[in-house]
Amino acid sequence: MIYLDAAATTFQKPAAVKKAMAAAPELYTSPGRGGHRLAMAASEKLFECRERAARLFHVEDPERVAVTFNATHGLNIAIRSLVGPGDRVVISGYEHNSVLRPLHALGADIQVADGPVFEPEETARAFDRLIDRNTRAVMIDHVSNVFGYILPVEAVAALCRERGVPLIVDASQSAGAVPVDAGALGADFIAMPGHKGLYGPQGTGLLIASERAKPLLYGGSGSDSKNPDMPDYLPDRLEAGTHNMPGIAGLSAGLEFVARTGVEAIGAYERGLIRRMAGGLEAVPGVRVFAARDPENQAGVMSFEAPGLPAEEMAERLDRAGFAVRAGLHCAPLAHKTVGTIKRGTVRASVSAFNTKSEIDAFLNAVEAAVRGR
Amino acid sequence: MEPLYLTCRSLTYAQRVSRALAAAGVQNTIIRTPQNMSREGCGYAVRIQGRALSRAMSVLAAAKLPPRRVYRPAAGGYEEVTV
Repeated sequence: MIYLDAAATTFQKPAAVKKAMAAAPELYTSPGRGGHRLAMAASEKLFECRERAARLFHVEDPERVAVTFNATHGLNIAIRSLVGPGDRVVISGYEHNSVLRPLHALGADIQVADGPVFEPEETARAFDRLIDRNTRAVMIDHVSNVFGYILPVEAVAALCRERGVPLIVDASQSAGAVPVDAGALGADFIAMPGHKGLYGPQGTGLLIASERAKPLLYGGSGSDSKNPDMPDYLPDRLEAGTHNMPGIAGLSAGLEFVARTGVEAIGAYERGLIRRMAGGLEAVPGVRVFAARDPENQAGVMSFEAPGLPAEEMAERLDRAGFAVRAGLHCAPLAHKTVGTIKRGTVRASVSAFNTKSEIDAFLNAVEAAVRGR
Repeated sequence: MEPLYLTCRSLTYAQRVSRALAAAGVQNTIIRTPQNMSREGCGYAVRIQGRALSRAMSVLAAAKLPPRRVYRPAAGGYEEVTV
């Protein structure tokens, strides 16, 4: 199987990640819950993970790095911390349901900063038009999980700083592949999964949080236990209950892999693969490719469609040929609505640092065969 | 010389304190805070040698990592040290 579904989760993991996860049950118990060596070893591993994340994302204080179950968990914390019923929020036209559904459940007044795909200046202008003194919070997807479009997060962050509006960044597709500088952005929250571009296991995520963070879960934290409220400091305020130590050990190894390889290098490599894929697919008769004119505006995710061949059927044919891609709306109907593909969806191919040019070439042959019905 | 205990608001904070002290050459160990030392319930403290107090407080002030409180052993338990 050639795996091209890294936007859902990276399948190929660094050997160190697998090793760390396998060793964890023999090395660690619960961090922050005891003083014996197994608990303290767990505490050290957890702190190592926070410190590595803090370095990678330019966070001065590792206490601002909270461990979550996934990006959705982090986004729910962020949204519940800032937004209440009826509050006006401005979001991009590319948000995932992990943003839309919590906002809908809260009854927020959602304003969409709409803009064409791969046009970051137009997207920034749309945010500029909508962010005002009535805006309670702004949410922006750093990279579209459907189209790989790299949104103008720096420009939107500057608007938010200038107008004093809190910002939430969904770094689900960017963390590990596109530089994320939390210090420069000044966002209140940056949420990300551990299992995509950070190469950790599923069930892990990180939330870079500000003091505005409010607990989503309540329970034991191993600290201030006489207090019936959650501790008023980070990260304990956001981390009720026992930690996922095998996951955290794997995530820490994944963070080290990304730091050692280099986010810029990984991003450039993935963009190169996507350019190769886009060029090849554009040459296949009957295939429509969603590719940026300027490659700097697209990360390692790409959608395409073959009119007359439903996306799911295309994905099924590719699966039979040994290629893993994802078809449909990708839990991001808003992105499809923005681009005009809501009725039919797209086929999405997404790459990681472990894919190769020869895999892309094999994929192109398989798509051509699928379009021809072979 | 008797040890001193720097109580911290959280384990993560204690780990930051421990790292800062170690980087400055101040030997230390993170321990669970004894209940008769803690007003807040469970927590963590950083144990140092008493003679290192002045240096430790200077390092932690520079790093903007003040401990919650400082304790020393006393008859039947611990007593707070004014620093």
